[in-house]
Amino acid sequence: MNGSSMLLQIAVAVPLAAAALMLFSGRFSAGVRKAVAGLGFCVPAVIALALFALFPSAEKLGGYAFVSRCESFGVPELSVWLQFGLNGISLPLFLMAAFVGAAAGIRALSTKDVAQPGLYFAVILVMFGGVLGVFSAIDVFSFYIFHEFALIPTFIAILLWGGYARKTTALTMAIYLTLGAMVSLAGLVALYFALPETYPFSFRGIRDAVAAGEIFDGNVSVIFALLLFGFGILVSLFPFHTWAPDTYASAPTPVSMLHAGVLKKFGLYGLIQLGALALPQGLAEWQNWIIWLALGNIVLIGLIAMTQKDLKQMVAYSSVMHMGPIFLGIAAFAISGGNTAGLGGAVVLMFAHGLSVALLFHLGQAVCDRTGTYEMAKMGGLTAKAPVLAAFFVAATMASIGLPGFANFWGELTIFASLAQIQPSWLLGAIVLSIVISAIYGLRAVAKIFYGKNSGIALTEEQFEKVRDITPAERVPALILFAALVAVGFVPSLITKNIDETLTRDFAPAANVLRGDVVADEEAVPAEPLVEGEVIILDGVLPALPAVPAEPCEPCGENAGAPAGELAKTITVSVSGAVENPGEFTLDEASATLLKLFEQTKIDPSATFVSVLRVDGRFAFDLEELRSGDAEDIPLEDGDKISIE
Amino acid sequence: MDNETLLRVILLTPLAAAVVSAFFFRRSRIVAPAISVTAAGVILVASLALLLGLDPANPSASATLPGFALGGFRELETIGLSIDGNGAAMLFAVTFVAFWIHVFSVGYMDDDKARGRFFAGLSVFMFSILGIILADNLFMTFIFWELVGFSSYMLIAHYYDTDYASMASKKAFIANRVGDLGFLVGIILCYAQYGTTNFAELEALVANGEMTFTSIGLLLMCGFLGKSAQFPLHVWLTDAMAGPTPVSALIHAATMVAAGVFFMVRIFFLLTPEVLTAMLWLCAGMAALGGLCALGQTDIKKSLAYSTLSHLGFMGAAIGLGLPEIALLHMGMHAFFKATLFLCSGSVIHACHHEQDMTKMGGLLKKMPLTAAAFVVAGLSICAFPWMAGWYSKDMILSGAYLQGNMPAFIALAVAALGTTLYIGRMFAMVFLGKAHGRGAEHAKESSPWMTLPLVVLGVIFSLGAGWFLAGTDGLSWLGGKMNALFPASATTVFSEGYHELHERLAEAGLVTPMFVLGVAILVVGLGLAVVFYRTSTGEDRLRERSPAIYKALEYRYMDTLYGWYISKVQQRFAMLVALFDMALINMLAVRGVVAGIPAVLGSVSRRFIQNGNGAVPVFWTAFGALVVAAALVSGVLS
Repeated sequence: MNGSSMLLQIAVAVPLAAAALMLFSGRFSAGVRKAVAGLGFCVPAVIALALFALFPSAEKLGGYAFVSRCESFGVPELSVWLQFGLNGISLPLFLMAAFVGAAAGIRALSTKDVAQPGLYFAVILVMFGGVLGVFSAIDVFSFYIFHEFALIPTFIAILLWGGYARKTTALTMAIYLTLGAMVSLAGLVALYFALPETYPFSFRGIRDAVAAGEIFDGNVSVIFALLLFGFGILVSLFPFHTWAPDTYASAPTPVSMLHAGVLKKFGLYGLIQLGALALPQGLAEWQNWIIWLALGNIVLIGLIAMTQKDLKQMVAYSSVMHMGPIFLGIAAFAISGGNTAGLGGAVVLMFAHGLSVALLFHLGQAVCDRTGTYEMAKMGGLTAKAPVLAAFFVAATMASIGLPGFANFWGELTIFASLAQIQPSWLLGAIVLSIVISAIYGLRAVAKIFYGKNSGIALTEEQFEKVRDITPAERVPALILFAALVAVGFVPSLITKNIDETLTRDFAPAANVLRGDVVADEEAVPAEPLVEGEVIILDGVLPALPAVPAEPCEPCGENAGAPAGELAKTITVSVSGAVENPGEFTLDEASATLLKLFEQTKIDPSATFVSVLRVDGRFAFDLEELRSGDAEDIPLEDGDKISIE
Repeated sequence: MDNETLLRVILLTPLAAAVVSAFFFRRSRIVAPAISVTAAGVILVASLALLLGLDPANPSASATLPGFALGGFRELETIGLSIDGNGAAMLFAVTFVAFWIHVFSVGYMDDDKARGRFFAGLSVFMFSILGIILADNLFMTFIFWELVGFSSYMLIAHYYDTDYASMASKKAFIANRVGDLGFLVGIILCYAQYGTTNFAELEALVANGEMTFTSIGLLLMCGFLGKSAQFPLHVWLTDAMAGPTPVSALIHAATMVAAGVFFMVRIFFLLTPEVLTAMLWLCAGMAALGGLCALGQTDIKKSLAYSTLSHLGFMGAAIGLGLPEIALLHMGMHAFFKATLFLCSGSVIHACHHEQDMTKMGGLLKKMPLTAAAFVVAGLSICAFPWMAGWYSKDMILSGAYLQGNMPAFIALAVAALGTTLYIGRMFAMVFLGKAHGRGAEHAKESSPWMTLPLVVLGVIFSLGAGWFLAGTDGLSWLGGKMNALFPASATTVFSEGYHELHERLAEAGLVTPMFVLGVAILVVGLGLAVVFYRTSTGEDRLRERSPAIYKALEYRYMDTLYGWYISKVQQRFAMLVALFDMALINMLAVRGVVAGIPAVLGSVSRRFIQNGNGAVPVFWTAFGALVVAAALVSGVLS
């Protein structure tokens, strides 16, 4: 575990630690409390930027950088560990989570007249830590648990600090989302049982299994359906969306920002990293369901958004509407027969939408703070008194309706382009209709709030004169979100390069399945000696390979450029327990297996178990079976710790 | 500087200017205009340098900027800038007109407090329109297409505190977006069909025998209908006059609306005969309609807006007739005289203290001689006075229609031509002749040099002689063959061939003289009638006085009313129905029913706590209940 992986753990831990400190905040002054909470909100954003800069050159295991494992948490018997890491897909989402959290935090810190501010900050900090954990967790169960971590504060926040009808809203939301979480948990557990035992239940492990050709068949359809509908509920897929508008309208603004912006992306992220990656046949089977339900999001929810008179409700419905194109991007992987462009577009749109919806909620709150209401018909002419706020709001609206120059456009464009082969083709028109629908309600809101003259209903002329432009406390979060949207809007390759690499590397087997080149299990493992030009998976778990001849093979992948003749690389493992000479041993990488290791060191005859500890998890094997040949030999990786009992 | 750098400079300068203006000098009174005008100047100089350096026989240049790629979508891996004959022509017209309009704006906006915002908007617009001209594939075109729509929205909403501007900007953006919907679907289908959206590659594919599709052509035409305000998406252009006059001149007359024409000319090879027929009917009809409706507007800018609609119809009809070069030629000429007419109206409006109603003007001929001179020249040009700029293009389109034997189109276009002369004559009579009918007009005096200089350049010089590169067989080339009359030679190549070829065909059919006579006849009759009829106006539109019914028919906004009805009676009602369905069926029955039922079923204990109203406990019980259900689910799945 090196410095940058520590940074990643720190980024997740800081908000949680700050939340813990908040419990004692009764003894602090308000200033100290705010400072601690402020650190908890802002430090992860700084770390996330650093990690983003370090990512291209960081050492990657299975495509994941900054990999680390928390030794103290975990269930070894199930090989469940708390593991962190970021790959090309989770990196931009982690970055987005950090920015939205910083913005939401600053908004929370500057909210006046909050009952029990210490508890308020704590709740939001826990939520923030949870969402950071969601995107940085490699282990699937940790991924799920962090989501729950982030979800529960939402109920609490609505109950204690919510707007209208908060008890009913909290209750409905709690039940509904827990239901969704349970269904997706069922899917995850089913996935766990479907994964071969040699692979740990992590994103990396699943990716390795897929790369080795061990993609499951049989129950794929059911597992995928569980994931789709479970995650679908959590992501407000039509018709499971009705919890969303009430929740966002009722929740305090920082909570809405974090939930709509970041937490909702949990399900979509899971569908990409698990559903599309490991269960492509399932995706293909359910693609029509996704298409029609997502269309419901776009058209039906879009129409409802057009009828909204309340700004916060309108933004809430618009956030539900934008889930439609993202689902379609995921389905496009199957529709287009293995083209990963749709998945990439979905990730970009997730990144962009998180930022833009958070910005809209933030600015909406700013408007409400000035006019005392969210009802747009009662406002008017606000540009005269708050031109900078107006400029930000117009920019946020333009971003969310997909204007080029903001990140949302690239995501939407790629998704639409990836759906080129959708049948029947008029569906494409219905899907692209989203750009018109969102423009209609977006611009209508801008016109009602900021243009024209003050209607005199929410604010009298005197009050109107006293309206102030955007304050520094409001400006900073807006700038953070706006800058990220524009940076990626003008230079999309900032995040698309990483996403593209991950997609090309990891999703090739799934793409092959969708294209129709199904690779049977037996064929996936090369039985012949390596041939020139053979595609070799380098940093996954190596299948049991026969001894490699001493001649150097064609350099490929990450070994390209290694001088010929030096390909006989070595790995180092450490052995402890019932062995004659415990310590470190060096083995030839190509032929590093347990049995080979036992040639180098004698084992106590009474030993029965050998366990191998590596970053992914701990594996236990029966020595008898190994010796007798009943069990397969186990390949070893650099840094493994072997203990014999 | 090599061509690549020039191309990048041309595209990126206005962006830099916009960013600098927007972030740093929004409220400054002097610096923002200075930045914008300087940027426009730099662009013009760079464009001229580029164009003068291109080979007139085969103008082409290209450059790239870094883009992005995801999965199998690699169309935008590099953002390609390229210029060919079409692009060269439009580049010159746009950069030249835009520069002078920037100069004009300095004078026009001198009493406006939000000049900084205005000039930043102009720079954003320049960036967008140059992107359309320089784009080398369909996706890039779409990106800048949208940006142009955005800058138009921003600039129309300049006087945001009026409901008129607020509504007009929204309408413009949404009408454009509806067109963009069809446009984007067309682009994606094109991409799916041909595997590429690069113009050069597409042209090569079609030339090699690939099929063209009516559906794709019609969808791509939607973009044109939206951007160039043709039927049925024309309703936004007249209301777009809510923006400041330089905006109307630059965006809604000379450049943005012309972008649609430019695009259709560029993809002409993709258009099937059915698409061309559709274009011809829609656009010729619009030309006639626009020409007549201009007579029903007393607002000077709205009248000119209808004139723009009419002339865009001319251009579209030219494409529909299979004469894309002539369409582009008219687009180029139109940019000069229409911009001049709008700038004249701006000069007049400014002098009359922002009075826009023509019935309250009058007698300005002596008070504003330069403006009047520019108006006269530009007006005669638009009416196709022989050997003036408009004559080369407009009469050619008319002749082309007759040559093809397409009588309905010919009659429609002839009506449009007559309409042009009528409304120009009317405008001249009401504004410049007679006596002043309003306070503003009484105290008017000639505008500042910031405003009159562009008028002289665009109006007196270019509206007169812009077309002279078509004189004779080779025009009037000078500067070692690099300039041809008033245009860089490389910008004229695309016109010369098409024009001379059509001229030959007309000569063979013996139509040259008859068409010439017809053109002059329309000119004389129309202008004469109009001036005579309207010069005795007294504070009221004379047609309205004499025949209110006809006036009302010309004034009525049919499509607007239809759209208004559709939005309020159909769309909103349907949306409310969907919302009701969502609320009642999904939320109430399904969700609340089922979801609330689970804990209720699982135990009376939880029911008691729920009704107690205690917030935390029911959450706990329902979570517990949900866990039990989930456990059942999980084990059920695995068994």
